[in-house]
Amino acid sequence: MIEVNHLTKRFGRVTAVDDVTFRVERGEILGFLGPNGAGKTTTMRILTGYMPATDGTAVVAGFNVFEQPLDAKRRTGYLPETPPLYPDMTVREYLDFVARIKGLPPAERRPRVDTAMERTRVADVRDRHCGKLSKGYRQRVGLAQAILHNPEVLILDEPTAGLDPKQIIETRELIKGLAGDHTIILSTHILPEVSQTCQRVVIINKGRVVAVDTPANLTKRLRGSEMLYVEVDAGAADARALFERLPGVTRVGETGRHDGAVGYEVETVRGQDIRRDLARAVVHEGWGLLELRPTGMSLEEIFLQVTTSEEPVAEVSHE
Amino acid sequence: MSNTLAIAGKELRGYFASPMGWVILGLFALLFGFFYYTFMDLFVRQSMQLSQFGQGPQAMNVNQYMIRPLLQNTSVIILFVLPMITMRTYAEEKRSGTIELLLTSPVTDLQIIVGKFLGAMALYTAMLLVTAVYMGLLYRFGDPEVGPIASGYLGLLLLGGCFIAVGLLVSSMTKNQIVAGMATFGTFLMLWVVSWIGDSAGPTMRTVLSYLSITDHFDDFSKGIIDTKHIVYYLSFITLGLFLTAKAVDSERWRG
Ligand SMILES: Nc1ncnc2c1ncn2[C@@H]1O[C@H](COP(=O)(O)OP(=O)(O)O)[C@@H](O)[C@H]1O
Ligand SMILES: [Mg+2]
Repeated sequence: MIEVNHLTKRFGRVTAVDDVTFRVERGEILGFLGPNGAGKTTTMRILTGYMPATDGTAVVAGFNVFEQPLDAKRRTGYLPETPPLYPDMTVREYLDFVARIKGLPPAERRPRVDTAMERTRVADVRDRHCGKLSKGYRQRVGLAQAILHNPEVLILDEPTAGLDPKQIIETRELIKGLAGDHTIILSTHILPEVSQTCQRVVIINKGRVVAVDTPANLTKRLRGSEMLYVEVDAGAADARALFERLPGVTRVGETGRHDGAVGYEVETVRGQDIRRDLARAVVHEGWGLLELRPTGMSLEEIFLQVTTSEEPVAEVSHE
Repeated sequence: MSNTLAIAGKELRGYFASPMGWVILGLFALLFGFFYYTFMDLFVRQSMQLSQFGQGPQAMNVNQYMIRPLLQNTSVIILFVLPMITMRTYAEEKRSGTIELLLTSPVTDLQIIVGKFLGAMALYTAMLLVTAVYMGLLYRFGDPEVGPIASGYLGLLLLGGCFIAVGLLVSSMTKNQIVAGMATFGTFLMLWVVSWIGDSAGPTMRTVLSYLSITDHFDDFSKGIIDTKHIVYYLSFITLGLFLTAKAVDSERWRG
């Protein structure tokens, strides 16, 4: 449903998004997790056609966002970091205006506005001016605006930022309820958010994708285990079975092979360094040990960064 | 088209949702009223003087001696008032972030720009309609010709259109309303004084500068002459302004 290939965005000398590649399947909720300044907003702005990329391609709902922007936009709902409300309009007037610029036919406008207001529970403030709404309501009107034209793809930039805990839970439920009908990308800098809402997570830091996985796997990789990358030349022998027998190893996965060498991801219990045992075992078998390095660490560092910037500092928004 | 009208309607409503639209309308009516009164007073006194010298009271033409200078002064008033209309158009959308809604909706940049242009033109037309009431009053005292009044208003509409197009362009290049307002006013003033420079220049230069001067083209309209040359000039000016605004919006896109 969404395909992002080698996307790069530079602002002068700052590379905000650096060779980002990922895809989102139909009906999936993808979490876009990263600390402030990671490039989440920039990526989303490119996907929604707000700004062009310096390099790479993005296809949304089957349309290239650079070559067929109108077709892509018609199928995309977008909630920017700050809900784009006109303070002088009432909620109803605002949604009516949005319905018109989204190109909904006149007969469909009213029912769609009503449905959107109902789903986001803003019907009770429909005659209030947008400028007079609380933060929670602004965010919900922003969501109503995003789902108004029933788009196939929803792109939500930090949809729970600045909400109180009750509103956060409500918003998450709402978003989960929208999946299925819609393919969703939501960004956040809060780790628990993705594990509660998303099926898959892209972790991005300093403009680069650091990891793509399910929240469960990511959490496991973070909390309970460490990861090694091993490359061996074992001839015809099965190195995997050997690794699995080593004490402390919880999982072994093959990552690729070339010229007789095979790469493995070896997951171990946290706090147990098996590198010496592993090296000894490989040499004992008479195989060639081509590479051996820990890989879980950088991810952990990022998670640390991610989780520690959860506090209001994160509220600072920029251009 | 429907998108464009939706944006035009939003703009127009936006002017009157805040006190801004009313302030502009009131200010304009007040300034116009002041000049109206001044010229009327002058006209009445002069025609009374003339009648003392034995000529009839209708010897002075109300079109020539009152309406024309009034229309010409109106072209100066809009120089001051129109930047107030245009300064918020883009600047405010950028400041509040609503520009993200517009630029990610299935509308082209040009549809947005034309929508904003039409919205501002609608408010400007409302301003001119207010002054038309004053003009109507003249029929109680004299018998002015309709032609020059109509052509004068057409000229004002076109001249204002140019100012609005320039104002949109300036507004699209900044996030700050006040900066947008000042810069627009400065630009209008330049377009206006070009003809003064022309007055002191040689004959060829004078023709060129006078052609470029946005206000010189207005003279004929105020005299009741509708010349396609001037209409083409104004319409090209407006088109160019909107086109450049589209370019500015697009390059702004790259910068984010
Ligand atoms: N319009 C812009 N001009 C210059 N730099 C920008 C602009 N937008 C974002 N950046 C920079 O790009 C980087 C990524 O920003 P952003 O995408 O907003 O990150 P996030 O949403 O993950 O916090 C930051 O370093 C930011 O300063
Ligand atoms: Mg952001």
